[in-house]
Amino acid sequence: MTRTRIAAALAAILAFAPLAQADDAGLRSEVAELRAQLQALQREIATLRQERAPVTPASAASAAAVPAPATAEDRANRDSGTQLTGYAELNYNRPTAKAAAAQADLRRAVLGFTHRVDDTTRIVGEFEWEHAIVSADDKGEAAVEQLLIEHEIHPSLGLRAGLMLMPLGLLNERHEPPTYYGVERNFVETAIIPSTWREGGVALYGTTAAGFSWSAGLTTGFDLGKWDATSDEGRESPLGSIHQEMQLAKARDPSLFVAGNWQGIPGLTLGGGVFTGKLAQGMEKYPAADARLVLAEAHARWQSGPFDVQALYAHGHISDTEALNLTLLGNPTPVPESFWGGYVQGAWKVWERDDSSLAPFLRYEAFNTAAAYAPAPIGLAPDTAPAEHVWTIGANYWLNPNIVFKADYQHFDVDDTKNRFDLGMGYMF
Amino acid sequence: MPPSIHSIRHPIAWLAAIACLLPGMGLAVSAPTPASLGRAIFADPGLSASGAMSCASCHSPAHAHASPSEGLVPPGGPGLDVPGFRTAPSLRYLDMTMPFGFDKEGTPVGGMNRDGRANSPLEQAARPFTAPHEMANASPAEVVAKVEHAAYADDFRAVYGANVFADTEGAFFRILFSIEQYERTAREFRPFDSKYDEFLRGRLRLSPLELRGLALFNRPDKGNCAACHPSARGADGSFPLFTDFTFDALGAPRNPAIPATADPDYYDLGLCGPDRIDLANRRDLCGAFKVPTLRNVATRHAFFHNGVFRSLSEAVRFYARRDTNPEEFYPRDANGVVQKFDDLPPALRGNVNTLEVPYDRKPGQTPRLDESEIAAIVAFLHTLTDGYDPRTDTADPARSLGHDD
Repeated sequence: MTRTRIAAALAAILAFAPLAQADDAGLRSEVAELRAQLQALQREIATLRQERAPVTPASAASAAAVPAPATAEDRANRDSGTQLTGYAELNYNRPTAKAAAAQADLRRAVLGFTHRVDDTTRIVGEFEWEHAIVSADDKGEAAVEQLLIEHEIHPSLGLRAGLMLMPLGLLNERHEPPTYYGVERNFVETAIIPSTWREGGVALYGTTAAGFSWSAGLTTGFDLGKWDATSDEGRESPLGSIHQEMQLAKARDPSLFVAGNWQGIPGLTLGGGVFTGKLAQGMEKYPAADARLVLAEAHARWQSGPFDVQALYAHGHISDTEALNLTLLGNPTPVPESFWGGYVQGAWKVWERDDSSLAPFLRYEAFNTAAAYAPAPIGLAPDTAPAEHVWTIGANYWLNPNIVFKADYQHFDVDDTKNRFDLGMGYMF
Repeated sequence: MPPSIHSIRHPIAWLAAIACLLPGMGLAVSAPTPASLGRAIFADPGLSASGAMSCASCHSPAHAHASPSEGLVPPGGPGLDVPGFRTAPSLRYLDMTMPFGFDKEGTPVGGMNRDGRANSPLEQAARPFTAPHEMANASPAEVVAKVEHAAYADDFRAVYGANVFADTEGAFFRILFSIEQYERTAREFRPFDSKYDEFLRGRLRLSPLELRGLALFNRPDKGNCAACHPSARGADGSFPLFTDFTFDALGAPRNPAIPATADPDYYDLGLCGPDRIDLANRRDLCGAFKVPTLRNVATRHAFFHNGVFRSLSEAVRFYARRDTNPEEFYPRDANGVVQKFDDLPPALRGNVNTLEVPYDRKPGQTPRLDESEIAAIVAFLHTLTDGYDPRTDTADPARSLGHDD
């Protein structure tokens, strides 16, 4: 039976073979045409992919008022292969009350790379030098700022692993000088949110059709054992003084973060995030064994025409520090129970020609790095710090979206010895 | 299931069974080690010219390895009548001390002895054996000969070789090595079992007075003691040693109870001599002595290198009032002028630290600490005594003995 069917099929093929030969030229022509159409489609898809907004984590995208320079990630998304990236910041500060304290500093120079392994996977690294010279006898630092692998699971969902920037606030993830106003980064996003803040771990990130971008992850956290009550570092930035930056980081207790931004209306960004984790990292026989940090922030940015307005509030809380602070009695910097800060900022692009533009801005900040302490015995309670209020007025001048020159004046309401003029320049590529 | 007694027939099985049972019966005899030899040597008065002075005489284990004597500077020598020059420091918590050197700012740090001239416990252990006012042996060879005939001589041979005494220099080195091993490995030298340690572990609270004392101890505008005697745990969780290993010239008053001071030209200048000779030309360092650990300080009977103060309260009061009321501590000359820093030659008195809190005061100004604050700091310092018993709220360094690893 089977043999009969095979024989019939062979007979049919042989019968139609001359007809097939006759039409061969037409078929070839048709295949060539189809091939050309396919190549055209492939090119179109590639173009669309390059132009498509990248799947970015929950950071606020810059839009209208600030020129939109490409961040390392954006630029890499548009290109293929391996890209060299970088940025730098050179600042001059001159206190009005003490000109002798004027200082010029190559604050940071950063080189990075983004290597696109394939259409869905890339490797990102950033390497930083602070204060120009790094040696045993100098004050500079060399650091790895980011080192991670990103993999796109789906066009709206990605996975990230490695040393990554925490997506809290408006500045931490997008901290290149052309992307923010003012010579110095604002105080709230340095003293309260310790920019440039990175942790090692894994995270998921994604976007929705409604314009919501989000990210959530499991990472390393802070080490309260590093708290130095004799130093004022903890007063300047409580979390900045105990961050680990994945340098032999104690990793007994993982931390969690969740952050999101909604950009459903063009020009508007509404977002926030929470980071929490235990701080003792399993240190044995430690009086703050259960201390936990909760850092939360909310922010908004509205960019419309020449206007750029943004506001942010961040609040940190460290629990279970009472017994630890007793051991630190009398020292100038006990561990605060709460710290907070917020700012509002408005900028107006008053001039623009080709790629150049000029935007004056005004920022008001209030922050307190030691707003409250855990209860202490009567007479031994440490003094809380007064909230500092800072006004910053100045302007950014973009030679082009990737090169900026800045000037501003900062007025401190509480400690007016810090009042100063600042000049700065920065670039990114 | 253990074998029954009747099932053990082979002699080797018997030996194995005995070996297994001995530890449980408390009959195990551990083999001698350098550390166990060190313990024996440390406590052996037979190694001195007098036959009555051992390391433990001035570094009594039960007294936090410091002097048990209420006398000022214990006399030594063949007849135990040769007066000394300095008080004997505690040997506890010395193992973290780095060899003597200068940090990158040029500050001298580290070393053993009050002038830091020994770079290790081994080096430190050598000097008292032949010091005329201490164990007063004529030579290291004399020490070796005494060890050769000591009760633990066979143990010494068992550890270091049957012919160890044939090489006198090598044997003396092994004596010092044994002492160092004892000091480095025995937990009694670093028990971290004071009330304050338990407080740092979060297991108890200090009393209100002790807490007040801690705050005053730390406060940069009050005692500022922690500037040189750090009190907080390190970033790695390590417990504080209450010394930053530096040296400081405090201008302690001259102590006439030290016979050598009868000579008006005698001065103990610490880092720059006379005991230490390599820094004799560093006149800027004259008068500086090692910042000691404050652990067990409340068990001392004499304070500062020359033991000029006989109570802890006096010592703390000196810090607070040295510069506001110098007449309380220093004699007056024939013209009635207070001879501040009288234990230093006049030309070197400028070396004394007068800039930092609490010394940054002048006569007529209010001292950084009043009497109640001094009392609070003293109360806090008592929490640094080893061997704390929470049931009785008492501490005794002797309780820290016998808990070796």
